[in-house]
Amino acid sequence: MDSQCVSILPRVCGVLLVSGSSLPDDTSLEKLLDWFTTIAQTGASLLEACPCLVDFVSKVAFNYASGSSILSFTLKLTGLIGASEDGFKVLKVRLKNLNSPRPGIPFFHPSITHSNVQECSVLKLVFNPHHWQEAGLWEDPCLRIGWIQGLKMILQHSEALCFFAQADLIEPLLQLQTDSSLFVASAANQTLAQVLLLCQSLTSVGHNGSKNKDLEHNSVSVETTQNYSGIITKVSEYLNKSVVLKEISQLSGSQQILRLLAMLLVRVGPPLRDTLLLAVMNSLEELVITSCSQLTVPLMDVILAANSGLRDDSVSKQRLIQLLWFMLNMKKPANVMQAAAAVLHSHQSDPALSAHSARVLLLPLDIVTGVSLLDENSTEELRILITEQLKRKSCISIICVCLSNIPQITLMASDRLPCPQRQIVTAVLMLLRLCCVDSSSSSAGCVEVVRFITGNSKVQKCALEALLVLSKSAGVKMVLVDVFKVLTAYLNSPSSDPSVLQKSYQAVIKWVGVCPDLSCITDQLREGFIQAVRKRACDMRWEARDSTVEFLGHLGQAPSCRSFTEQETEPSDVLLGGRSFTVPLLKKALQDPESYVRASSISALAQTLTPSWQEGTALTQEQEDIVTQVQEILFQDSEGFARRAAVKFFIAWLSACSSPSSCWLLMQSVPTVLSQGVADLDWEVKLHTLELAELLLDQAFPDPSPSHPYAVISDQAHRPPIAGQQSDLLSSLKDLVNWGVVSALLCGVVDCDRPVALKACQLLLKLQGVVCPVMGNAADTRVFCQLAGASVMQQVRKIQAMGKDTYVVSEASSEADKEGIYASADPECVDVCEVLRLLDLDEKLSILTQSSDHIYNSPLSLLQDILTAAAASSQPGWDPRQELIMDCY
Amino acid sequence: YCLSGHPTLPCNVLKFKSTTIMLDCGLDTTSVLNFLPLPLVHSPRLSKLPGWISKDGSINLEKELKECAGRVFVDSQPEFCLPERELLDLSTIDVILISNYHCMMALPYITEHTGFTGTVYATEPTLQIGRRELVNFMERVPKAQSATCWKNKEIQRMLPGPLKDAVDVWTWKRCYSMQEVNSALSKVQLVGYSQKVELFGAVQVSPLSSGYSLGSSNWIIQSHHEKVSYVSGSSLLTTHPQPMDQSSLKNSDVLILTGLTQMPTANPDGMLGEFCSNLAMTIRAGGNVLVPCYSSGVIYDLLECLYQFIESANLGTTPFYFISPVANSSLEFSQIFAEWLCHNKQTKVYLPEPPFPHAELIQTNKLKHYPSIHGDFSSEFRQPCVVFTGHPSLRFGDVVHFMELWGKSSLNTVIFTEPDFSYLDALAPYQPLAMKCVYCPIDTRLNFHQVSKLLKEVQPLHVVCPEQYTQPPLTQSHRSDLMLELQPPPMPYKRCSVLNLPFRRRYERVYILPELANSLVPSEVKPGVSVATVSAVLQSKDNKHTLQSVPKAPPVAPSKKRKRVMEEPPVTMAPKPLLSGVVPLEAFLATLQKHGITEVKVEETADGHILHLQAEDTLIQLEEDGTHIVCDNNEPLRATLRDLVLRFLQKL
Repeated sequence: MDSQCVSILPRVCGVLLVSGSSLPDDTSLEKLLDWFTTIAQTGASLLEACPCLVDFVSKVAFNYASGSSILSFTLKLTGLIGASEDGFKVLKVRLKNLNSPRPGIPFFHPSITHSNVQECSVLKLVFNPHHWQEAGLWEDPCLRIGWIQGLKMILQHSEALCFFAQADLIEPLLQLQTDSSLFVASAANQTLAQVLLLCQSLTSVGHNGSKNKDLEHNSVSVETTQNYSGIITKVSEYLNKSVVLKEISQLSGSQQILRLLAMLLVRVGPPLRDTLLLAVMNSLEELVITSCSQLTVPLMDVILAANSGLRDDSVSKQRLIQLLWFMLNMKKPANVMQAAAAVLHSHQSDPALSAHSARVLLLPLDIVTGVSLLDENSTEELRILITEQLKRKSCISIICVCLSNIPQITLMASDRLPCPQRQIVTAVLMLLRLCCVDSSSSSAGCVEVVRFITGNSKVQKCALEALLVLSKSAGVKMVLVDVFKVLTAYLNSPSSDPSVLQKSYQAVIKWVGVCPDLSCITDQLREGFIQAVRKRACDMRWEARDSTVEFLGHLGQAPSCRSFTEQETEPSDVLLGGRSFTVPLLKKALQDPESYVRASSISALAQTLTPSWQEGTALTQEQEDIVTQVQEILFQDSEGFARRAAVKFFIAWLSACSSPSSCWLLMQSVPTVLSQGVADLDWEVKLHTLELAELLLDQAFPDPSPSHPYAVISDQAHRPPIAGQQSDLLSSLKDLVNWGVVSALLCGVVDCDRPVALKACQLLLKLQGVVCPVMGNAADTRVFCQLAGASVMQQVRKIQAMGKDTYVVSEASSEADKEGIYASADPECVDVCEVLRLLDLDEKLSILTQSSDHIYNSPLSLLQDILTAAAASSQPGWDPRQELIMDCY
Repeated sequence: YCLSGHPTLPCNVLKFKSTTIMLDCGLDTTSVLNFLPLPLVHSPRLSKLPGWISKDGSINLEKELKECAGRVFVDSQPEFCLPERELLDLSTIDVILISNYHCMMALPYITEHTGFTGTVYATEPTLQIGRRELVNFMERVPKAQSATCWKNKEIQRMLPGPLKDAVDVWTWKRCYSMQEVNSALSKVQLVGYSQKVELFGAVQVSPLSSGYSLGSSNWIIQSHHEKVSYVSGSSLLTTHPQPMDQSSLKNSDVLILTGLTQMPTANPDGMLGEFCSNLAMTIRAGGNVLVPCYSSGVIYDLLECLYQFIESANLGTTPFYFISPVANSSLEFSQIFAEWLCHNKQTKVYLPEPPFPHAELIQTNKLKHYPSIHGDFSSEFRQPCVVFTGHPSLRFGDVVHFMELWGKSSLNTVIFTEPDFSYLDALAPYQPLAMKCVYCPIDTRLNFHQVSKLLKEVQPLHVVCPEQYTQPPLTQSHRSDLMLELQPPPMPYKRCSVLNLPFRRRYERVYILPELANSLVPSEVKPGVSVATVSAVLQSKDNKHTLQSVPKAPPVAPSKKRKRVMEEPPVTMAPKPLLSGVVPLEAFLATLQKHGITEVKVEETADGHILHLQAEDTLIQLEEDGTHIVCDNNEPLRATLRDLVLRFLQKL
């Protein structure tokens, strides 16, 4: 820890003691606590680091005038100190230090006598609720939350648990479970869980480790075990009592207790779990019978959590299974569906239960579409109830619950499914047809529901989502044509919402991706699909155009498939007739008025062209036009999105290109992209430009380490630099300079956007690592680089000046350079290796790695702020209402 | 009386309070789909179509009927299906109320040659745009030969459908003449929104904004105690006209509902989007777009939408042509009727800026308008382009020319936006057709969802509507949401139905003259209720009823030549006082006793009491609504008893 902080911490504590109200802002204490927590978390002893804290805690505990925020802070701090066993011991033995109070400050509450105080350890005093009640401070929720969080922090070890049991803190903790303040109640909830978990972990250690423990220790653990069981009994009694819902006003309380119970049952193991379960079982049964709608979900969580860890033959298990069956046979369809969904999500091992849940969840789909998914007799009563429910507007939510659980249903083993998955796909397709405004298809199912679901985009989206998932199921490839027809209808429908269109496109990609055989797509189907896509590319809504463009890109990347001519082919060829269709559409989209669409079309073009780049086929005139257009976007577009996409286009091209050097257009474009990109106003564009530079850097100096760990390493990698290697490096470096990589990096390292400067710095270090050890200072190995822009030059010079008081501008360039590019003594030219050596890149990196506000955000700054604020407030004429203007955070 | 079978082109007659009011006179023009298109220039394709001969060869109508792609068309001047004219005597109609210019195309048929002498009420934009539509319509239907042989029942039965199934073909009529249009329109009297027009003192009619088109209106027809609302062609969408006035429709006894959307499943927004994307798609591919449309109405919204779309779709250089005999005036009129526009557009007028963006399109030469394809248009015509022209039926007008011109290329597209005609039927005589066809019907009129919301809001006691609205459409029988579901169920009507509207006419308002009112002497019969007798003369004139003082007998002229007694003024006698009140039994018995009648036997009956005066052998029946004294041959006793009863009653 910073020694400066240690030295001023006692003064800060003093300030806090005297007047808590003059803090720079109300988050100061939180930040102080965060700092202490960080210290404690690093493994260092908090007390060793800040010895003054105990004194502070013991003083505040008696200073009622401190204000509730300081008291609350102190309570939490006490917890933090006591969380370590050493700190706990100090707090336990430390008696109240009876320093005389400062004049004019009421140090003691009148009701606490001297003798009382002297007998009391700080720990007992701070965590004694009566102490605060007597002082009249307990009413303040701020203090209660401090107490409870302090308690939670301290409960980390057996000593603390002993203290907790002996001080009988379980009673106040249970009282706080139903506290009027939501935050207090919630924290009390978590603390209770913490108590039980600690009990469990300590008893299990006791059991396992008892052989190694000495007698003395064992006797202690017997005592503590008694304490623990007392706590557990009390908690169990409390839970049992509070689970039952006596009146509807206690609903939120019940929900909270159920959540706590569910959490405990998941986290605790036997035998504690058995104890808890036994205690609450009767109450749970009672609660299930009252079947309150709002409690269905938390109740199911509890039952399922309890059920998951039990052996099949235990009595509790059988009772729980009965409860589950009861929940699945309630009279309220919505609740039954919730319960069934919970069963499926919990991956219950009971096959009968999960099969029944799947039937329940599929029932609405069966009723609405008339596609018989289920054996009618099995769910007759529920069928009647749900059919009634579906005639109302609430049918939307029921259908959506059904659809959103289809992924879970498809995960089930096929022999447990009520029907083949193909049947489910048929039903979902039927539902999609019913939802489509333009379709005139009618179902054999519930007619009344059609009026609510037709054109309802929520149902449409859920159904499309389900269809996406169903593409993975076995044996459904047969219905590809039906799926394709429905999706085309959605893409064609003028009433489709843009989000529905997007989902439809995703579904097309998904289904095409999993179907290796697209021979079923006839010319007629394809024509319809092409028309729909073409139309959406001209849609009035930019979202629709954007999804279309994105789709074209994704389709370009889809794996190959088989067409109706039995040939291996690209899906985009089968569906859209290939690049001759997509590329012109995407080219048009480059001129779209919406920048998102322009950006998407650039990425889609990159995706579409990637295969031809990989094959290294010669560029067509069309592709050259595209490159020109993308460059224009990078130069002229007013929106960052489009420009970022433009840089990424070149990244994609460069990474896909099998031999970049033989692609003249790429090599011609790169320098312009780099110089333009690094000078962009948008920091993300600059960062992407540096990524492009990185790619070039990696290609110029490939990583010598082998691609897999067992590969044979060539001897050359270990040899000292030889002339040939040097000349290779030299030519690579010259290439980099010619492409503008080095000047882009030098430009980037002085950029005012930290992420850009950081990235550039890292890349320069990489370059330095490769180049500098090999290259000497000889004149013939010097490579000069031209820097664009005077400001860049100045900045580099400044850095150089800071690194070393000499300039490295090549005065001797005329004699050194033979190629003639740097023939004149150009003040804009720098020697690359020289610059790399002189720039203190490591120092720069360490600065850049820190966040830009690291100074203002440091603990020292915080402590100083507190002191300054206190000093200001003690000045005569200080107005507490006047906000202090501090450059703090 | 329902005279039209078409729910969106209504023609109904309402007899209400001794007035006969015609509500709209729409013309069903779908009959023209049975005719061949009338090209502007000679079409070799059409003239080469084979004539129709019955299978057995017995009937040869080669000159009248032509076959095209398996369908038979009448080769003559198109004819229209008129509103029913036999159901009631059209000369008895007092007024015709017009809702919007679509619903007045049959006006000349009603007002001319039927003996009609009444008045037509319409708003100014309705009249002006309607005049243009009528002229446009009339001018586009050229005078050519007419065919009648096929109408023979025996022959018609042999024809293939849909001609075979056409009903009342003998009543179909040719288009009216300019003179008839002028004469019909001269009977129109202009009204403004919420202006109240008295009809013979019996009813008041008043137009309300219906939000559908410029000057479109719904009508309120009300008497003092009854209110009928007529809702025809209304829209709740925020397009160019003034928004719909819903609140004035409240508290109606009967609401007559017509003119709902013809495309309940097509959302106008979606269709506009569809229209724009198809247009852009065609232009980008180098094709032309043809939009068959009317010369006003939805086209303003289309142009506005295109105005925004042109830039974003990079269509800035594509020419847009609007060809119609009234194109110029239609575009200009729309800019003039500021007071009839929605608030947003009204404010622009005061800036001053043209309220519709098509003004800017015209200024920047992106939109050009021509009266016809002859003249300037032919010299400035550039392709690819977008052409808006009529008529949407594709049977007459400039559109026929473009269909013949562009039909052979699959690059071109025809986009139908008007919902009045089935696009497949419209295209039938152009088959085979390579041109792409897109159907984006844009109908901004109320849909069923909006109607049910509206009715919930205005709560009429009864709803009367065309029967088509009471069941789902035939093609989508499962869509129970595409019909009106109301409680009580709406009263359906169809062509030629006569409905008795469920009015309970109980009261009539009668005025009383101040001097007569002054002379009344009211007496209170129970708290808050006073009664007075009135002697007056009831004068009824123009359905207004007034009570006037009885004229005093004029001094008898000193003449000895009185010949007839009848001439004497009636002798005015003071009316007998009216009695009211209840005879209290106990008090009455006591009074009887005072008058020496002691032996009284009281019997209770359902309505009162019977007193048996045993000694006098007399019965007195005291009942709620009458008192009877049955006393034979003892007049003095009866008089005494009568007086005793009268003592307890009030006299007015």
